[in-house]
Amino acid sequence: MTSTDTGLRADADAAPQRSGRPRAQTAPHRRKEALTFYLFISPWIIGFVGFLLGPMLFSIYLSFTRWDSFTAPVWVGLDNYITLLTDDPIFLRVMGNTAYYSLISVPLGMVVSLFIANLLNKKVRFRKVFRTLVYLPHLIPIVAVALIFQMVFAPEAGPLNQALAMVGIEGPNWLMDENWVKPALILMSLWQAGGGTILLLAGMNGIPKEMYEAAEIDGAGGMRQFWSVTFPQLTPVIFFNLIMGIIGSFQVFAQVFILTGGGPDNASQMAVPMLFDEAFRFYHMGYGSAIAWILFVVIMAFTALAFATSGRWVFYESEVRS
Amino acid sequence: MSLTTAAPAPAPTAATRDARRPRRPRTLSAFRSGPFTYGLLLILSTIFMVPLVFVISIALSSDASVSSGQLFVLPREWEFANFARIFQTSLPVGSFLVNSVIISVTSAVGQVLSSSIVGYAFARLRAPGKKVLFFVVIATMMIPAQITMIPQFWIFSELGWVDTFLPLIVPQFFSNAFNIFLVRQFVTRIPFEMDEAAQIDGLGHFGIYSRLILPLMMPILIAIAIFTLTAMWGDFMGPLIYINSEDKMPLALGVQYLTSTSQELQTPPWNLIMVGSIFLSLPMIIIYYFGQKYMYEMNLSAGSAGAK
Repeated sequence: MTSTDTGLRADADAAPQRSGRPRAQTAPHRRKEALTFYLFISPWIIGFVGFLLGPMLFSIYLSFTRWDSFTAPVWVGLDNYITLLTDDPIFLRVMGNTAYYSLISVPLGMVVSLFIANLLNKKVRFRKVFRTLVYLPHLIPIVAVALIFQMVFAPEAGPLNQALAMVGIEGPNWLMDENWVKPALILMSLWQAGGGTILLLAGMNGIPKEMYEAAEIDGAGGMRQFWSVTFPQLTPVIFFNLIMGIIGSFQVFAQVFILTGGGPDNASQMAVPMLFDEAFRFYHMGYGSAIAWILFVVIMAFTALAFATSGRWVFYESEVRS
Repeated sequence: MSLTTAAPAPAPTAATRDARRPRRPRTLSAFRSGPFTYGLLLILSTIFMVPLVFVISIALSSDASVSSGQLFVLPREWEFANFARIFQTSLPVGSFLVNSVIISVTSAVGQVLSSSIVGYAFARLRAPGKKVLFFVVIATMMIPAQITMIPQFWIFSELGWVDTFLPLIVPQFFSNAFNIFLVRQFVTRIPFEMDEAAQIDGLGHFGIYSRLILPLMMPILIAIAIFTLTAMWGDFMGPLIYINSEDKMPLALGVQYLTSTSQELQTPPWNLIMVGSIFLSLPMIIIYYFGQKYMYEMNLSAGSAGAK
């Protein structure tokens, strides 16, 4: 990127220097270019200030208040945070549920999508058909998925328990059972794991065939080739999927809202549905804002953790090529 | 289902690739596949398909068999009339559909317009502070939407925009970080010499953007349009917060509304709900079918985002 570093030298060039060097004549052009730049990015700047920075600052302020959105906010200091972390009967449980859901569904989803991608990367007949079949669930809006799985998890009539009955297992009442409601939500998320395979397949396409040939000559079998060639080459994509997965799973909403409403007995209540309830059902806007900020800190912590450990396992192509 | 059977065999690309190199028996075990692979794929595909077959089955069931709780994976009845009946319920399903189209198409237009020009500026124009601003753009990708949800609700209710499409559509005209990033990545790869040539021919920055780069960015803009369309089409929380009137609901909210408006102790009209779910899903499948080439392009850029 030559444009950025020359851009930084714009001030130095602004001094008039007609020493015959052709690039000096660009000074007024530079200023015009900079103005054009700011004009062009103004939609983002307006959006950033109006829909992000401003609301964020307001949200921090609100998290220190009690506010029902009708009367003026009342400053309560750290009360919301203290109540949430020490005195709220359900918040810690909700955060536990959210973490449980994320920490199981994200890795499991990554394993499933990697497994499928690896199968589909082989030379199989009807590859396009299989690829489409596996990807199809990912195309269905989450609202429809939730409605579909409400039927799938039906205790007697649902296909899941019918299939279990065929092998002699009496399936649980998934959505009404405190022990099974979170596994049910995780199962549902796995159904859409095919989404991750597309990126992985694209990544697999980019792996030079010569690497496999070399591995083959060295006597590596299928498994060995996967672990020594495919997996290391894919780690950047896997890392990308991991970060997106973490961020997405902590923000689960529609599934819980539609399928369980957080029940039974808050066993499936998650952070964002709780935030929604507090803010838009009970009009606890300050309390809701505090939940949002705690959620933000937790997501950041997990993302930072992923980044911190990435140096050990994420393998960048530039490290080989250069 | 008919989409998949129409898929042509991927033979030609493999053949041409092979033609370029000296002929040598292909024995790479990583690419070999036996009955085991097919078996696994078949099982997996079945698992992925069962819920969808189930949806179709229920959508085609009569009211009587739905309310009796007898549900079957394979269709027993063929009540195609359900697809027309959904428009005759007490809910305005026709306007749900129209609302969804208005909201998602307008949003896609907004995202394409704004992110193309902002992304172009970040890729091509020089200005002091650009690096810092771009870092801010990237950083905002990490901020969960829930943080701004409550203040945004306050802003939009102060503006009197609650129960209109505006809170859903207007923010889309101010571009989002991910799309800016995608456009910037894409434009960066277009040779800079073209701009210089155009500049010598007397084209200004806006001319270069609109006449030269914009047509070249089409693949990534189509990807962004598809991405926005699908995101807004399936969006549930936004309409749930901002839309109260039935006749302004998009389909994603409206279909769910079908389940919650049925009387207590009465089975929801599952056959109609599943018809609604099909209406909600089918456009996504069609868009993907025609747009996968471009989505793949976007995914690749996203992949390289992870790689660099």
